[in-house]
Amino acid sequence: MYPAPIEAYFAPRTIDEALHCRAEAGDDSSFIAGGMSLMQAMKARLATPPALIDLNEVEELRGLAKGPRGVTVRPMTRYRELAVTTALHGAMQAIGDAAATVGDRQVRNAGTIGGSLCWNYVASCMPNVCLCLDATLVLVSLDDGERTVPIDEFLIGPLETARRDDELLVEINFPAPKYRGVASAYRKYGGTIDSLPIIGIAALIEVDEAGVCTDVRFSVGGILPTAQRFDGIGDVLRGRPGTPEVFAEAASAAAEAIETQTDHLASAHYRKVLIRTLGRDVLAEAHARATGG
Amino acid sequence: MEKTITVTVNGTAYTRTVPLRLLLVDFIRDDCGLTGTHIGCTYEGRCGACTVQIGGRAHKSCMKLAVQADGKEVTTIEGLGSRDNLNRLQQAFSRYHALQCGFCTSGILMNAAEFLKENINPSEAEVRRALVGNLCRCTGYSHIVEAILAASAVRHGVKPVPPPAGTEPDR
Amino acid sequence: MTAIGETGWIGRSLERREDARLLTGRGEYLADVRVPDCLHLCFVRSDHAHAKIGEIRLAAALEMPGVVGAITGAELSTEMQGQKIPVLIPAFAANYRQYWPLAVDEVYWHGEPLAAIVADDKYAAEDAAAAAEVDYEPLPVVTDPEAALRDGAPRVYDDWDNNEIFATSYTGGFDPDQIAKNDAEVEALFAKADVVLKQRFHTQRCGVCPIETRGALAIWSEADGLTVHLTTQRPHIERLALADLLELSTAEVRVIAPRDQGGGFGVKAPFYREHVVVCHLARKLGRPVRWVETREEHLMTVSQERDQIHDLEIAANKEGRILALRNRGIGDVGDGRQGVYWGFVMPSLGSVMLPNAYDIGHADIKLRCAVTNKTCLSPSRSFGALPTRFALERGLDMLARRLGMETAALKRKNLVTEFPFTSVTGVHHDSGDYVRAWDALLERFDFAGFRAWQNEARTSGRYIGIGFACGAEFSGIPSDVLVPLENQPGYGVVTMRIDPRGKVAIFEGDAPQGQSHETTMAQVAADAFGIHPDDVSVRHGDTGTTPLSSGTIGARGASYTVAAIAEAASALKAKMARYMIHDHGLEGASADDFSFRDGAIIYEKDDNVRRDFAALADRIVMGSINVPPGEDPGLEHTAYFEAPKPMICFTAQAAKVEVDIETGQFTILDYATCEDVGTVINPIVVEGQVQGGVVQGMSNAMFEEFLYDEYGQQLTADFENYRLASAADVPTVTVGHSPTPCPDHPMGVRAVGEGRPGPVPGALANAICDALAPFGVEITTLPLKPEMILALIEAGRAGNGG
Repeated sequence: MYPAPIEAYFAPRTIDEALHCRAEAGDDSSFIAGGMSLMQAMKARLATPPALIDLNEVEELRGLAKGPRGVTVRPMTRYRELAVTTALHGAMQAIGDAAATVGDRQVRNAGTIGGSLCWNYVASCMPNVCLCLDATLVLVSLDDGERTVPIDEFLIGPLETARRDDELLVEINFPAPKYRGVASAYRKYGGTIDSLPIIGIAALIEVDEAGVCTDVRFSVGGILPTAQRFDGIGDVLRGRPGTPEVFAEAASAAAEAIETQTDHLASAHYRKVLIRTLGRDVLAEAHARATGG
Repeated sequence: MEKTITVTVNGTAYTRTVPLRLLLVDFIRDDCGLTGTHIGCTYEGRCGACTVQIGGRAHKSCMKLAVQADGKEVTTIEGLGSRDNLNRLQQAFSRYHALQCGFCTSGILMNAAEFLKENINPSEAEVRRALVGNLCRCTGYSHIVEAILAASAVRHGVKPVPPPAGTEPDR
Repeated sequence: MTAIGETGWIGRSLERREDARLLTGRGEYLADVRVPDCLHLCFVRSDHAHAKIGEIRLAAALEMPGVVGAITGAELSTEMQGQKIPVLIPAFAANYRQYWPLAVDEVYWHGEPLAAIVADDKYAAEDAAAAAEVDYEPLPVVTDPEAALRDGAPRVYDDWDNNEIFATSYTGGFDPDQIAKNDAEVEALFAKADVVLKQRFHTQRCGVCPIETRGALAIWSEADGLTVHLTTQRPHIERLALADLLELSTAEVRVIAPRDQGGGFGVKAPFYREHVVVCHLARKLGRPVRWVETREEHLMTVSQERDQIHDLEIAANKEGRILALRNRGIGDVGDGRQGVYWGFVMPSLGSVMLPNAYDIGHADIKLRCAVTNKTCLSPSRSFGALPTRFALERGLDMLARRLGMETAALKRKNLVTEFPFTSVTGVHHDSGDYVRAWDALLERFDFAGFRAWQNEARTSGRYIGIGFACGAEFSGIPSDVLVPLENQPGYGVVTMRIDPRGKVAIFEGDAPQGQSHETTMAQVAADAFGIHPDDVSVRHGDTGTTPLSSGTIGARGASYTVAAIAEAASALKAKMARYMIHDHGLEGASADDFSFRDGAIIYEKDDNVRRDFAALADRIVMGSINVPPGEDPGLEHTAYFEAPKPMICFTAQAAKVEVDIETGQFTILDYATCEDVGTVINPIVVEGQVQGGVVQGMSNAMFEEFLYDEYGQQLTADFENYRLASAADVPTVTVGHSPTPCPDHPMGVRAVGEGRPGPVPGALANAICDALAPFGVEITTLPLKPEMILALIEAGRAGNGG
């Protein structure tokens, strides 16, 4: 119920300060972002960091910026901000869909996209959405400076990412869509409203002027070892019109292809049912957005 | 392992030397003696009974360390409206019988008060979604939803006011 | 606001007098009580579901900063007697097993407390508990109650012959020959029935965990003995049990249930072992000791109820009239070691309540309860009856479908219509008009037009259904039932005192947890005396100041305690009238000639003869000269109310749902009830009780399930895994009324607190099955997980040839 004793606490104001604090705090120390997951783990004593480097005062890690090459979301941007911004509408709208349904108001006021990515819990939304949207992550450390990691290399397994403990996630970059007819969407099912996803689906669709799908990305969260993209869906969708039947066929192909697990929340079979039905609906929604419908 | 912090709670600055691991909710309850903020979870932060406002935003104070609130403005239920001068939301809660045992009520009020600032004319569905982070076991929620709807600015014919100083800006 | 002195308080949705403090954070809950020099206690709990306890190493824990002491079960068992004491044992024949507050030698469920550590601060106490090391020698684990009852099954208690803690028949009397004769008669009715429905129903382990967990703060003083602040619904029973266990004089034990408690719903009714440890250590160490339960402890230890299997058979004629019932119930009571209820009293009452509001002439109802390596069942609102409500309400729907009848018509046809009525299990139904309430509900739901709408919706691929259920529920339980059931009295009692300023104080030995006693009881007294409710105070929960009562359980407040208030007020009014007769020389006048209104007592035959209420109180209490012959001075009276038989209230409930046949997910489109709660004291409070109870039923039915794995490990010890419904998961529940006054209550009230969750799972499941009738879906288990519903749809499709 209470965290184990903490020896040191740092509240840096800049990225540079944060990295130096990390160096001072030592190997077992931990960065803390919104804290929605780490605090649970600390209170359950599953995580016992002797020192914390709190990122909540680092202004440079907050906000989002739109540029010609895409959108940069800083990791300490909170769900609430992502849920209400119109800057992501269209190609990056899945982020807003997900952010608006993470946890609850209080969680959205505190939780951050970067924290979620670095935690990479199985039943989470942001890793899945970022996988679908082909994010590129920028990590920095005192030892190695800056490095860039594509999202599919970043997400490794349950509570496991390519981030080294001394590295700080500083940017999440989403590529600009090739042209206007691109949109994404996200939905999940967790049993109770807005709860952790048993299955979450993110999809991004590109269409031509006639509404025919030219490309698609589709990813599934809530499965082991981590969120997974199903690129085979492009074979079903490319060159075809966006009809309910086509989306159903595509989502069924995904459900068939993706391996799911059984646990006390749902069976492997039911997870496939959810991939099929949510997948179809998410594709339809993304398509509707892409075609301005 | 300790740090001296100053947290302004309901306008009063509390300077205390606290263990680094002290939860904000325990700081509020034990160090400030403000016991209107309640605890209903172990570690999961799900029930919402500990909800307070930090910088004008609703947060679960069991999911924060006290040191993280150093230098911040915190508002608890005790700062919402006094016994002799209940605010509009508190009055509506009484009128609509939106509380029974009252244990979850502080957290609901602190969340709903912020919600009603950002949504001055919510629908029933929006109110219900806004309450996901606050579990209530007594009321079945219907009266709570009615009370929040009744307290909304538009229902009251009140012009929305800009958020007070100290509210964290949206970005 | 109403002017002071205005009368007619009963029947008004008065704003609650509790609210001002609760809305401003000034409630006084257990964790808010502060005393200096207080120690904090943390339990060390078993990691295993069934194991021999080896060495418990506490040395490291004891050396940690701030740690003051520790105790193990072995040590504790030499310092106090076991918890199998008469005040905690009902009158039923059952296997009551001796136990101590901390496990001795063996643990029987995952989470059982086996040691306790106290420290200066709660963080330090938890640190120390985490440092405790325990050796275990695992033993076979019993988790399936049905398997547990088979011959040769592994035993939870190796010195028992088997795992059966309790078994009985509820029909045919107590004599084995009579029971056999009854069973044969029932069998004969089954043999000649037009239709027999036979079905197994299972309700999962779930309950109504309050948002405030349990806790205790014990203070020992050489002068006064033990004072303990305790989350409890029945402080007086706790006091007796604590005194007996700790071998203290009852004069040395004072239990104080905090003025505010964060919900109880039955969970705070049993006598819990943790409390004893807190009290014992406070005495032993001579310092206050405090324990506030964590949510994890709560979900592993208490709030687990329901968990029954029913093999139900219904015999009926082709007109849909029920001829006979047969039921074989199995209760999974967990370890069966928990004072007063021992895990089996809930399923036992569930079997008693099985026939519900239906006129069923013949039945053969039997129950067996098994111990398993799980925590003991503790009561949850609807006390044992939710599973049997679900079984019967579902069974009747299945029967109706088999007969090609509307379920609403079949149920209406079988409702009790002649009162008083005694059910085949002996439940007394005092009065009512169940059919009128039923019809009112159908009208509210526009049932007449529903089928056409449903059919039209189906043609466009929408599956909408309607489901009904009802409940004839106890409004309190009289001594006649409660003494044998729980070894305690059922009467209502209050002490009422009027002071010289005309303020009325009510002292009740109950301990409400959100039921609005301070408001509704003040309304009743204010009405009686013609004064304002603000001039009435209600004090409860402190055994030092209140009369002995069995506590806030089973909807006793408005039925028994309120009745006692009415009687106390009558007695005091009569006394005040006698003083008026004496003072004003009104020879030949009687108490009936006076009315109490507008803050005055008025002689009806000459309204110039009147006294201000407070002035008369002052004259009687303070002006004790010229006392009427034979009268005492003072205005204080303790009144007892006893009902001859249980009083009953009625609820009819209906749900309208839409099911997505691709996923099995469903939405509740509408939910309404029609209530017969007799005279309503405060309508909005009653509405709140009903809505809250119904949503508890929804949450139980849809989401909640305590899960144990094959090793007896608990998988659902937090609110992420044990899911409660949030506001977004449930609809607004509308509450209608069809009142008939209760003849056994002085004001006609039928208290409403207990039974409302019970009918909900049946109503919801019936609505889902109605929506999915084209697939022949019949739900027989809870919770109503979409995956389970989808599997039934898929099975139905396969059965229909795809």
